[in-house]
Amino acid sequence: MILRTAASTERLTGPPVTYLLRPRFQAARNRYQRAPVATRWQRLLLAALAVAFAVGVFVFFYRVLLHFLTVPDFGPILTYKLLAMVLLTFLSVLLFSNLITALSTFFLAAELERFVAAPVPLRNLFHARFVETLIESSWMVFLFAVPAFLAYGLAHEAPPWFYLWAPLTLVPFAIVPAAVGVMLTAVLVNVFPARQARDLMVLAAIVAGAILYLSLRLLEPERLVRPEEFHNFAQYLVAMRTPTATYLPSTWAAEVVHGLAVGEVGHTPFWAALLLVTAAGSWLASARVTAALFRSGYSKSQEGRKARLTQQRLWTAALGLSLAPLPRVMRLWVGKDTRTFFRDASQWSQLILLLALVVVYVYNFRVLPLGGMPLVTFYFRNVISFLNILLAGFVVASVAQRFVFPAISLEGRAFWIAQTAPIDLRHLWWSKFWVSLVPLLVLGEVLILLTNHYLRVMPFMRWLAPLTMAALTVAIVAVSLAAGTRYPRFDADQASKIATSAGALISMILCMSVVGGVVVLQAWPTYVLFFSYLQDIPLDPGQWFSVVGSLVASALVVAGATFEAIRRGLRAMDEFSTRSASAALP
Amino acid sequence: MIELLDLTKRFGALTAVHNLSLTVLPGEIFACLGPNGAGKTTTIKMMMGLLRPTAGQVRLGGFDLAREPESAKRICGFVPDRPFLYDKLTGAEMLDFVAGLYGVPPAQARERRAALLELFDLEDWADELTESYSHGMKQRLALAAALIHEPRILVLDEPMVGLDPRGARLLKQLVRQWAGRGVTVFLSTHSLEVAEELADRIGIIDQGRLIAVGTLPELQRMAGTPAHADLEAVFLRLTAAEETTDVVVRAHA
Repeated sequence: MILRTAASTERLTGPPVTYLLRPRFQAARNRYQRAPVATRWQRLLLAALAVAFAVGVFVFFYRVLLHFLTVPDFGPILTYKLLAMVLLTFLSVLLFSNLITALSTFFLAAELERFVAAPVPLRNLFHARFVETLIESSWMVFLFAVPAFLAYGLAHEAPPWFYLWAPLTLVPFAIVPAAVGVMLTAVLVNVFPARQARDLMVLAAIVAGAILYLSLRLLEPERLVRPEEFHNFAQYLVAMRTPTATYLPSTWAAEVVHGLAVGEVGHTPFWAALLLVTAAGSWLASARVTAALFRSGYSKSQEGRKARLTQQRLWTAALGLSLAPLPRVMRLWVGKDTRTFFRDASQWSQLILLLALVVVYVYNFRVLPLGGMPLVTFYFRNVISFLNILLAGFVVASVAQRFVFPAISLEGRAFWIAQTAPIDLRHLWWSKFWVSLVPLLVLGEVLILLTNHYLRVMPFMRWLAPLTMAALTVAIVAVSLAAGTRYPRFDADQASKIATSAGALISMILCMSVVGGVVVLQAWPTYVLFFSYLQDIPLDPGQWFSVVGSLVASALVVAGATFEAIRRGLRAMDEFSTRSASAALP
Repeated sequence: MIELLDLTKRFGALTAVHNLSLTVLPGEIFACLGPNGAGKTTTIKMMMGLLRPTAGQVRLGGFDLAREPESAKRICGFVPDRPFLYDKLTGAEMLDFVAGLYGVPPAQARERRAALLELFDLEDWADELTESYSHGMKQRLALAAALIHEPRILVLDEPMVGLDPRGARLLKQLVRQWAGRGVTVFLSTHSLEVAEELADRIGIIDQGRLIAVGTLPELQRMAGTPAHADLEAVFLRLTAAEETTDVVVRAHA
């Protein structure tokens, strides 16, 4: 009898929310405990980077806030405005992030099948998935916000309780966009198939990110440190004195944090209560909406979809025509890679970010404050142009880690098709090499040529920089692809995971070593030639010898790195034809 | 023809396949049986060039796989036990792609693609991304891909898994048809019925060793089972699994 009662109770309530979250925590614990040494080091490095990032955020905010507070009368208003702007940015980031995460956690995650098929009450499932969504989409904002709040408190000499309550404000603040994101997602998947909705949202998020990035840069924030510009900016902010958008949770959170920081009770409890009630209410509202829409949305999310643009006749014909000159195996692979690339929104949408990056990069050089004495300016222009090889090399190497390093791994678990086909796998490697090289060469050269154009450098630099960049790009592509072949991640379901693996880190270090080595070797000849040009004195034989020697040495470094990388990459490829590529094999 | 000569595969201290020698003739259907972890898939992976043997040789259609891998692979069709495909390609594109890899001219590939999609009942799904396919559909598409270049040797690792009864029956008919045309068929299966129904010869692998090869009557004699004994009884006797079965029966009692 007792047993029966217990069983009936269990049927009514089902497994609790914490139980549903348990696999996630167990998996995280296992990942931590059973990680190989290389992965542990990688995590340690990432943790160190995260701490460095947090420290950087703190220092930046602290200095900006102190700078603002030096303005008589308007100081606190300026700092408040900055806080409100930052929180508003967080709110929009959180909303997008929650929309995308909720699609995965509520409708697309593989483990959902198990939960939906099990006797789990929808209410419990909702709360468990909501918590997961909240954590997954908000942790990065916390990493950014906590040091910013800390800086805010210190700059305003806040009372001790600020440091406890201010970070806690983030919890209800993050819940509101999570709830809105979950509700919107539930509606969206009932209108569009889930995979299509995800693509749309990924695209929207990336476009929004690119626009935000561009607009922030084009606002020229460096003007704030110029007194004459700062005065205008301060006036502008004060002109907008009334609290911005009082209906937004970011404003309420800003009021609470500011109130706590300056030690004024005033309306702080009201804003805090408003934030708390809204968070609780929106959580419950999203539970209601999800309860009504989850079953039909989940069912729809199981449906397939057609490839649209990349199956159009025109597109197919254009692709076929452009690939026609290539050898058979390369044509097949490039065609397949192009199709799969443009059908995966998480892949091709990165190009938008890349475009924004290039625009901002070039723009930075255009607005460099290089006025002043002509001689000094000319010197700086050429120094910057030379160092630009290092910067552009860094950009190309970073892009290579995102697109070139994962190229072999992206064959994924279907790699058996290549392994059992009557082809030399070296052809596959070379096809990935050429396909990667062409766009990266364009990127590197655009960065160098445009920036040199704005810098108006001496003729020697106009030749040296593009040539060096071209050679470095070849080396970067070879090294990244070879490292990606040597350290493949066939089990990764996303290119971004492959690009952040330990192998990718090694690849980045190797690429930057080559770039750094070449820049160091070219520093001397550039210096000598620059002064020869400036003073109009021809080089003596000894100088010629050292210039040519250094340039030859730098060429040898690039050539050596390229050939060695190609050799190793091809050898790793040969091994795939007969070895167990662990996860690659079915 | 498939020739395996003293094929051995060691993973550290574990010997997964031990001195396995076997010849499968053209037009013959050979079924490889064995308990889980016996070494069937390892043998197949070595045959297909996915795993390098620790020792021994694989010859496919007279080509040494180690020396002439491309020639050997060109005449083979392979379906793995878990046929992962390119998620973002449609079924039709997938077949075109594989046809290209095996050097089938485009016009011929289009004809065969249409015929195979019809044969495997995938015409309506030809333009859908394979990520939306069910397991059975992926299995059928993998089978179609293995056949698009009209191979002389067909290697199927657990081909019935995921197929519905109709698909399974179709596959059995096709296997017989191909063998009738002289195609060498090597299949691994857990299904004793499939082996009994299809195979000309059956090989039983246990703990990495080929412990018995022959037709069903030959295996019955080797196992010392009566002439009317089915393959299950033979298999259990040869793999010494009878004791385990007895334990289960006693426990049940």
